[in-house]
Amino acid sequence: MDFSFTKKEEKFRTELRTWLEANLPEGWLEGKRDLPEDLDEYSRVLRAWQNKLYEGGWAAIAWPKEYGGRNASLMEEIIYHQEMVRVKAPPLINYIGIHMVGPTLIDIGTDEQKEKYLKKILTGEEIWCQGYSEPGAGSDLTGLKTRAVKDGDHWLINGQKVWTSFGHVADKCFLLTRTSTHPEKKHRGITVFMMDMHQPGVETLPIVQMDGHKDFNEVYMTDAVATDADIVGQVDSGWHVLIALMLHERTGIGAELFTLEKQFNDTVELAQQYKVNGKPLIENPVVRQKLANFYARVRGSLLNYYKNLTTTIKNGQPGAETSIDKLVVTELNQALSAFAVEIQGHQGVLFDKDAVADPKWQHLFLASFGQTIGGGTSEVQRNTIGERVLGLPKDMGR
Amino acid sequence: MDFSLTEEQEMFRGHIRKMLDKFGGTQLAREMIDNNPQNLKKVYTTLAELGCGGINIPEEYDGMDLDALDLVPTFEEMGRSLVPGLFMETSALVVPILKKYGTEQQKQQYLPNIASGEKLVSFAALEPFNDFSPAGIQCTLVRQDGQYVLNGTKTLVPEVELADAFLVLVRTNQTDQEDGLSLVLIDKTKGINIEKQSSFDESKHVAKIEFNNLVIKEDQIIGEVDKGWTQLQEGLLYFNAALSSYIVGAMESVVNMATEYAKIREQFGQAIGRFQAIKHSIVNMKVNLEIARSLSHYANWVVDTDELDREAAVYSARTYATEKFIEVSAHNVQIHGGIGFTEEIDCHLYVKRARYYDQYLGSTPFYQEKVVASLGW
Repeated sequence: MDFSFTKKEEKFRTELRTWLEANLPEGWLEGKRDLPEDLDEYSRVLRAWQNKLYEGGWAAIAWPKEYGGRNASLMEEIIYHQEMVRVKAPPLINYIGIHMVGPTLIDIGTDEQKEKYLKKILTGEEIWCQGYSEPGAGSDLTGLKTRAVKDGDHWLINGQKVWTSFGHVADKCFLLTRTSTHPEKKHRGITVFMMDMHQPGVETLPIVQMDGHKDFNEVYMTDAVATDADIVGQVDSGWHVLIALMLHERTGIGAELFTLEKQFNDTVELAQQYKVNGKPLIENPVVRQKLANFYARVRGSLLNYYKNLTTTIKNGQPGAETSIDKLVVTELNQALSAFAVEIQGHQGVLFDKDAVADPKWQHLFLASFGQTIGGGTSEVQRNTIGERVLGLPKDMGR
Repeated sequence: MDFSLTEEQEMFRGHIRKMLDKFGGTQLAREMIDNNPQNLKKVYTTLAELGCGGINIPEEYDGMDLDALDLVPTFEEMGRSLVPGLFMETSALVVPILKKYGTEQQKQQYLPNIASGEKLVSFAALEPFNDFSPAGIQCTLVRQDGQYVLNGTKTLVPEVELADAFLVLVRTNQTDQEDGLSLVLIDKTKGINIEKQSSFDESKHVAKIEFNNLVIKEDQIIGEVDKGWTQLQEGLLYFNAALSSYIVGAMESVVNMATEYAKIREQFGQAIGRFQAIKHSIVNMKVNLEIARSLSHYANWVVDTDELDREAAVYSARTYATEKFIEVSAHNVQIHGGIGFTEEIDCHLYVKRARYYDQYLGSTPFYQEKVVASLGW
């Protein structure tokens, strides 16, 4: 058992920290962290931030060097997330491109595809979204109905996607379509296209979420066009491509856990500052018990992540047990932000600019409901853990 | 970074598991219910032969001089089969206290015998109608004519019939609550009055013991007089790290029971494990187990370091483990349905042990407060 970082890893941390301190937007470290509300302006600022990361060599550290990465180890990725969380760095607008599409293309893309897309993913010139869910295909993605039909030398795509993150700013879409029907084997007949979002057949409409944000979109495709060269992998073998892609998203949960840990520390501070009947809230025995309980859960989740990470490093790829990390961090997020709102008393209902505490717990509380749904609902995670970790049988419908 | 047990530690686990399975696993706990500790004594002899007793004892006292982490496989495996007895009190409470605070003579008198398995020590702290706090300790050790005399009653002392000696928490000073307690080591003698008590967990035997003017020699007091409570806190760190391991082993056994039953029990024409209501309940048990295991492994690593979160890590591992052990053992009964409510199947053994340990040497709120206080909040 060894929790230390190697000299090389520490050097990596220092190098990144120094770079961040010199290159974060002006005033960021001092707390000036508001991003523009106007969508175009928001997108421009974040593209510029990503380009800065690219120029510093920090945009896609896990990619091989020949494609502009650093060939970073898993531990270096962990350090990267820790440092980004430490300075509350601006969000990575091309997260999907960097962490999912890029690595998948490096893995199974054609030379032309690598040439055409990788560099632009790195620089932030082309932002990516994923076209997975549909109104009738949520947890059961195989129910997707968006069709791609070959028409001469190109494909015509018709259908509707929903919950498409970054859809409103994206230039490209990693799109799941149905190219043939196999009622008995619904995983077959799915094809992945890299679709251009800027064409007459594609229309994007934002969805207003319960927290007031518009991170998601509906994407409508009416005779949208793609070519053979835009297909990832083979026709009808999109399900394998999707699984390969998910394996590349190696350390995203780590980033969420480091954020959770920071938010827990913020909650403790909140309880120290807040007064009830003239006394700091943290002197209240019930609050103390709850904080001890959260401490155990937050530390336990983080340690469990390190345990699974150790296994991943040894085996070369993550196992099904990593579903536990996703399940735990999202449910804990929900519980912690609810607690942080609760202990603010009636002031806990003050919202947005009037919210009394930093971070704005009311937003985090509302946003937390999305986390136990997106990227596989808690129920889907529990099925995965039950079936692939414990070996329990699947229900009859699957 | 490497957060895992070593191959050697895992291999050692295999030996312990094989040995305990040979004795029938939870059969040992059932035999204790019938007041028949014969096989349990054999198990303890075998554990000593495998070297378990000396794992954390320095080489000069015939031990292996290894760390708390090296005891983890042994405790997890014992927990898996709910092995009763005094191994945990002896190796994870008395040994760390003796190592740190004992005199040379006390170490020589006890450590080699503990390493060889010849000496098991029980712990007597709690008193009738009192709690586990300095104010709750009223057994008095008074100096009279150049010797010490002990009077008072201790309750819920575990496995007295297996004990060769007792570690006893006594009051040596009435003026200060906390700095008025001492720890004494007393070999079992006829001068101690023992009265068996009925235990909610019948596989854990407890008794009331009474001291009437028992003469204690000065060299039976561990380290400095009046420093017993402080010494005990250090011992409790090791004990609770060990306890969390034992519970992790027990929880693992419970999760396995529920999983295997859900695979074979059929209703409505299918294995009940296909139903999400059952599946997700078992998954929740599994998640609790894995978090408890991670906290416990870390606690057993950190306890031998001087990291800042040493106390918080151990106490949070304990509270999480005891709380979740109660929860998973209860769900296990529910998943088994009617058969789970019977004495025939092991479910109830785990339910009872979970409750026993939750309230042993402090409660969940007691340790939650320790977590928060140790972090300076």
